Amino acid sequence: MDKKVVIPKFDDLILTLKVLAKDKEDVRRKLAVTAKKLALKAKQLAVTAADKESIRRELEITAKDKENVRRELEITARDKENVRQKLAVTAKKLALKAKQLAVTAADKESIRQKLTVTAKELKKSYETLEKKVSERTKDLEQARAKDVAILSSIADGLIVTDEKGRITFGNSVFEQLLGWRLDEAKGKLLTDLVPMFNSLGNKMTQTERLLTLSLTKGQSTPVTGAVYKYSRKDGSVFPAMISVSPVVIAGVAVGAVEVFRDVTKEEKIDKAKTEFVSLASHQLRTPLTMIGWYTEMILKGDVGELLPNQKKYLEEIYEGNKRMVDMVNTLLDVSRIELGTFKVEPKPTDIMALAQSVLDEQKPEIEEKKLVIDEDFGKGFPIFLTDAKLLRMVFQNLLSNAVKYTPPGGRIGFSISLDDEKILHIKVSDTGYGIPNNQKDQIFTKLFRADNVRSKDTTGTGLGLYIIKSIIENSGGKIRFESEENKGTAFYVTLPSASSSR
Amino acid sequence: MKTQKTVLIVEDEKSLRDALTDTLRLKGFLPLEAKNGLEGVRIALSKHPDMILLDLIMPEMDGMTALKKIREDSWGAHAPVIILTNVSATSEKIVEDMVTHKPINYLIKSDWKIHDVVDKISGLLKI
Repeated sequence: MDKKVVIPKFDDLILTLKVLAKDKEDVRRKLAVTAKKLALKAKQLAVTAADKESIRRELEITAKDKENVRRELEITARDKENVRQKLAVTAKKLALKAKQLAVTAADKESIRQKLTVTAKELKKSYETLEKKVSERTKDLEQARAKDVAILSSIADGLIVTDEKGRITFGNSVFEQLLGWRLDEAKGKLLTDLVPMFNSLGNKMTQTERLLTLSLTKGQSTPVTGAVYKYSRKDGSVFPAMISVSPVVIAGVAVGAVEVFRDVTKEEKIDKAKTEFVSLASHQLRTPLTMIGWYTEMILKGDVGELLPNQKKYLEEIYEGNKRMVDMVNTLLDVSRIELGTFKVEPKPTDIMALAQSVLDEQKPEIEEKKLVIDEDFGKGFPIFLTDAKLLRMVFQNLLSNAVKYTPPGGRIGFSISLDDEKILHIKVSDTGYGIPNNQKDQIFTKLFRADNVRSKDTTGTGLGLYIIKSIIENSGGKIRFESEENKGTAFYVTLPSASSSR
Repeated sequence: MKTQKTVLIVEDEKSLRDALTDTLRLKGFLPLEAKNGLEGVRIALSKHPDMILLDLIMPEMDGMTALKKIREDSWGAHAPVIILTNVSATSEKIVEDMVTHKPINYLIKSDWKIHDVVDKISGLLKI
């Protein structure tokens, strides 16, 4: 209902009532009528009030409605707010998500970029590596070619084997000397392909071969003298100097290297040299014989009596000559040892008689130096089978050394005994100058003379001990010594009977 | 006194030959001289000396060949011979020849006194 319509109707009613009051009299008359009219009017008013009420009610309702609407609106607003808030949250979340997505995308992009870079770098690295590898390969190839060239150019024969002794490499000298081509030899056992013979001419067994020793025991053999002979493809042999060393990687022998040299020429030269010494020595003996014999003839008075001084001088000549003869003989002994023509000729020998005769030879010098000799020949000996000439040399050398290198008044011990195994034990000791400690290992070396005696005695040749060591060892015996400088020396010799050594 | 013992000296070195001749003569021998193997064989086979001193290295014919020739002769087969040389008996060849041709001795001149050589001859000829 419209309010403007209601409000004028109400104003009209009030105006009418005022008119009615002025006209009381008239109105009282008319009251009945008017009461009726009033009642009507009241009725109408009641209706109006009711209307009003209803309007109020309606208004109330309307207000209520409004309220409701408002409320609803409020609710709606609230809902909206909620929604809005939710939307805001969602929006925020979305924004966050979007940000995260953006970040992820950025990350992805950066990773992608990094990956691209890495790939590029990898490619570059790979190329560099490839280049380096090819360069290095080239270097290695060159180095290897050089190594092979060096190995091939070694003037000595060279064989390399694996740990089983199978040939893996041989140089050109190997091919030349042995008659095998490398391609024929490769993979074969060296010990099968190339038989070797020892100094006695016996074929060496697998286990005796230096290569085997090298592979199984890891030992290096120094360069040997020409005691081995190699067999060529055609079966002929040649003397060789040889050295074998294991190839060791991280402590394990993975193979061996055998180096050898054909010493045919050297052996020939050596032999020629020795033969020359032998020949020269024989030629030297003739003039020495002349001097010796004629001096002797005069000394014996074959051509008349001599004046004392003449005799003395001639004796000097004779002694000098004798020394020269001894030296030539010694040289010949050395050349015989080196030529291998030192023959051992064992005969039943009276050792005591031999020892006594050697001792007698030294008597003059022993007496001159007033040396005391302690002999100990035990209870005598059965006849001993040996080369008397060689044993005499052993006695002579040891005794003359003892006499020569002991100062006057010293003692010399000379003892000989035979043990149950028919081994002869000889001991020659002295209280002499001794052998300096630092030269003990050289004492048996050819031409070696110890420093401390070189100044005291000029007649030694440095050959005696070398010769007798050769003789003794050739006869299956041994020689050793103990010595202290200025205290003395003792030589010990053991010599088996010739029958037992054969 | 019986007839003098004859000793043939086969030696190319005059000086040594003279020394031996003089000493042998001094000791009562009758020395004969040959200055090489060839002469030695000829004199030995014609004179039949009681003893032959034989050098080894000589011109014309060496001592060992001479000994072989002497041994081929019926007298020479048993003639006493002493090798008197300065060559050591080291080679197989010499040792073999020694075994085959049996000289009484093999002496190295430079190792022997001349009087000892003559004494040895005396001993061998039982004088």
